[in-house]
Amino acid sequence: MSDMIDARAAELHKEQSAIRRAKVDKMFAALLIVQWIAAIIGAIVVSPYAWEGKEHVLHMHVWVAILGGAGITILPVMLAFLRPGTTLTRHVIAASQMLSSALLIHLTGGRIETHFHVFGSLAFLAFYLDWQVIITATVVVAADHFLRGIYWPESVYGVSNPEWWRFLEHAGWVAFEDVCLIWSCIFGQREMAAAAMRQASIEHLSEQEQLKSAALEMAMAEMSATA
Amino acid sequence: MRTHSAIITASIVIAGAIWVGTVGAAVRAIRRFEATPGRAAAAPKSWPSDSTLLRNHDAPTMVMLVHPQCSCTRASLAELQAVIEKSPRTLRTYVVVYRPHQAKAGWEKTDVYDAATRLRGTHVIVDEDGREAKRFGTFTSGQTFLYDAAGTLRFEGGITMLRGHAGLNSGRADVIHLANGEGGKGTHPVFGCSIVSRGEKR
Repeated sequence: MSDMIDARAAELHKEQSAIRRAKVDKMFAALLIVQWIAAIIGAIVVSPYAWEGKEHVLHMHVWVAILGGAGITILPVMLAFLRPGTTLTRHVIAASQMLSSALLIHLTGGRIETHFHVFGSLAFLAFYLDWQVIITATVVVAADHFLRGIYWPESVYGVSNPEWWRFLEHAGWVAFEDVCLIWSCIFGQREMAAAAMRQASIEHLSEQEQLKSAALEMAMAEMSATA
Repeated sequence: MRTHSAIITASIVIAGAIWVGTVGAAVRAIRRFEATPGRAAAAPKSWPSDSTLLRNHDAPTMVMLVHPQCSCTRASLAELQAVIEKSPRTLRTYVVVYRPHQAKAGWEKTDVYDAATRLRGTHVIVDEDGREAKRFGTFTSGQTFLYDAAGTLRFEGGITMLRGHAGLNSGRADVIHLANGEGGKGTHPVFGCSIVSRGEKR
């Protein structure tokens, strides 16, 4: 009997997780599109043109915001609508969200305030209640900071000569947030599992009651037939 | 049904390829744009006699020529501020702001112009049709010159590491050393928009 309840609880948990994650996929699809538009507007406002005397052409940052932003956004948005709720979709979304952070950080010349986007994004990714998604996002942002920190420090830290430990300082803050978010994902999943177990138990009790009522009605019907 | 699923999968694979390709292409494009220096100046080795700027005869004179609409030049001005702060107060500094012939009124009054006016002890000069830029043989916004008290050119080049990126770099360090009477390399690549229109002869 207990096995039946466990199996039903697992089924409910899986179903509810999939519904939740599909909704979060759609939220991120909208967010990625909004970020793409924001990157284009930001580039147009901050550095619209590159000049040659009195003539001007569209600045490279505007092209990168339009085309680079499109490239980053297309795949996760497609997956969110064509393969919602799958593991692949949320990991691609996590990586894309971090690439959006990298794009915004670059477009603002490594402005330190833009790094808040990374922390906000990690918190949003925790809506999936899947700690592995947080790890994927962290690997992408760490790789971006590490590689750009070596080859192109101005674009990520805003200065050309960051201290050698600057990467570790940024990574430390991300790890600090990750610990709390991973704990909240695991805790959230446990709560969802407990809720699914309660629902499965209630369903089971309800079925038992229905069976009892049916048996009682049948017995009463037989008694009235013999009387 | 199977065809529909295959189309969706193929679309996702194509989008995946675009996704990967875009990141590489964007990094490459930005890197090339920002790391390519502008055309170096052909500056006179002695202070140009036809310049309307007044040279300091007791201390060095620094001149930076800028395009007011060039967003990358904000970084050059941030670096110029650092140079001024670490140089003797006797240093005379000019920021020469390019203004094309027949440009509408206020064309040059941008945030770059405003930033220049906030620099300590700096004279901001509007350069009609780039006449001073021609006298100093300048082609690129952010081009900086340091002439010593005798009017001899000691430094020519940019004071940023890349286009539009502030931060300590050898150009800025050399100007600071030279302005303080110490040794330093006299050239550095310059990064910024062109002050000269396409096809314009100098």
